[in-house]
Amino acid sequence: MAIIKLPESMRNRIAAAVTAGYPHETCGLLIGRQGVRAVEVLDSLQAANLNQERPGDRYELDPKAMLAADRDARSRGLEIVGVWHSHPDHPAEPSETDREAAWEGWSYLIVSVARDGINAIRSWRLDGGQFYEEDMAL
Amino acid sequence: MSRVIVRIPMPLRSLTAGAEELAVEGATVGKALACLGATYPGVLARILTPEGQIRSFVNIYLGQENVHAIEGLDTALPEGSVLSIIPAVAGGSEPKAKERRLMDLRGRIDQITPAEAFALQQRGVALIDVREQDEIAQGSPPGAHRLGRGFLELRIEEAAPDLEHPLLVMCNGGVRSLFAAEDLIRLGYRDVRSVSGGFTRWRNEGLPVEAPRSLDHDARERYSRHIMMPEVGEAGQLKLLSSKVLLIGAGGLGSPAALYLAAAGIGTLGIVDHDVVDRSNLQRQILHTDARVGTLKVDSARAALTALNPAVTVQPQARRLDRHNVEETLNGYDVVVDGSDNFATRYLINDACVKLGLPNVHGAVFRFEGQVSVFWPADARFQGPCYRCVYPEPPPPELAPSCAEAGVLGVLPGVVGLLQAVETVKLLLGIGMPLIGRMLYYEALAARFSELKLSRDRNCRYCGEGTAFPGYADYEELCHGASA
Repeated sequence: MAIIKLPESMRNRIAAAVTAGYPHETCGLLIGRQGVRAVEVLDSLQAANLNQERPGDRYELDPKAMLAADRDARSRGLEIVGVWHSHPDHPAEPSETDREAAWEGWSYLIVSVARDGINAIRSWRLDGGQFYEEDMAL
Repeated sequence: MSRVIVRIPMPLRSLTAGAEELAVEGATVGKALACLGATYPGVLARILTPEGQIRSFVNIYLGQENVHAIEGLDTALPEGSVLSIIPAVAGGSEPKAKERRLMDLRGRIDQITPAEAFALQQRGVALIDVREQDEIAQGSPPGAHRLGRGFLELRIEEAAPDLEHPLLVMCNGGVRSLFAAEDLIRLGYRDVRSVSGGFTRWRNEGLPVEAPRSLDHDARERYSRHIMMPEVGEAGQLKLLSSKVLLIGAGGLGSPAALYLAAAGIGTLGIVDHDVVDRSNLQRQILHTDARVGTLKVDSARAALTALNPAVTVQPQARRLDRHNVEETLNGYDVVVDGSDNFATRYLINDACVKLGLPNVHGAVFRFEGQVSVFWPADARFQGPCYRCVYPEPPPPELAPSCAEAGVLGVLPGVVGLLQAVETVKLLLGIGMPLIGRMLYYEALAARFSELKLSRDRNCRYCGEGTAFPGYADYEELCHGASA
């Protein structure tokens, strides 16, 4: 099982963005280093959710944000290692929609959020068309 | 032929032997990708469809621009261009039935801004707040009907009797109000509008807010049998909780009355009694216990009432009422319950109640008989008599022996004291027909209630029309030691 190292400061930053965005889905990127057995998150950023029709249960990360993030990360010797997004009033598990759109090689951090705050944060990785949960470490 | 750099995102690097960037050659995007595909065919399959089009979940950027917005695969590449393959990132939770319903409702129900709702409310349109009690406790628009969602259909017609008049429905964020609006339309209301953004937006836009009083969770549970009756409801229970009742005497009549009034949630119960608990009291004075024989009755009463309902404020007043302290004792209470055991006190209470304009819930027992009435000449609706209209003078002592002298069936003051409690609650809630101008007379042995009509004496020295208060009398002298 893969490991994702998510420092508390990153976790708090993402949680704050997700809570502020409720009841809409929020999304962003995880920046860091991909090791052999573990992915290390060193930075994160929020990107616009381009899905205007169903912001409550869909997200579509702005590719421009991704392009900029990719450039910035590479300039710092880092790279985009994953994606985070929220599931308002829904468990922190990948949906079929998530699975269909997911890429192998990235971590997918899912934050379950309700009106009164964060329910759970879990991370997943696609392998052979299936999502597997990653171990989370600080 | 240009030399260009292609940046490979991590998800595709397993197909490029881990390479982050690859140098390829090609005059257009399509040709550069074909060059890439010649070495790494797996990558190309992820980027292009079998027909050779860019896949919908991939974006290819030339510098800062999506080639899709230029000429797609035919976009020309200058020497040294950088192509970035950007995987589309999307997803989301499962589509919810809720979302589908909401999209439908948003299409069918008129939505207005809080400012528009406020303007309409000022013109007399009913604003219905359908939020939960704990949300309303945080604030609600002044004048809103706080009906909640659960009982909405059952209570709406009291707030808005005319189906033709428009209704404004508000929740916290503008979602629940759509469902509520649909229910109201189904009920027959022709024009129902939902306040977009709900109370959150209402408050954020600086529209007026008030914090209504409401019951907490414990109180709602304790008084649930009251609240479910529309004649009481939450508003009625709040009224009881803010009411103050003074019981004269913690004896046979005061005991059952005090217990039930405390149970009913009368917020403040004052109890006046100078006496201590005697074992002979326990045959009927159920506030007290064998263990508390010898203690002050007001202290014993407080222990019993607080144990029953800790939320009630008990104000014990261990004193004998006289003309010097009667007004300060009665002042500030809403209702006086007379459970005294002597005529001197009854006249004193009557006179003070007349002067202070307070309702006097009267009860008396004798052997197997009891009587109850409400004396409240100040009440404009019924203009009933005072005690003196009915009994201008106390009876001679030989005709009016006290319980101590004549005895009383122990249960009887329970019946009469509770009728006093019922009348008290009715007065506080303003419901039903008060026992004003009437006396209920109960004969236990015959098992018979009868009603006597009591008339006001227009020439009563105390409550007669245009009569100035004549002052307090010397009650001991007046009654010659007669007992009630």
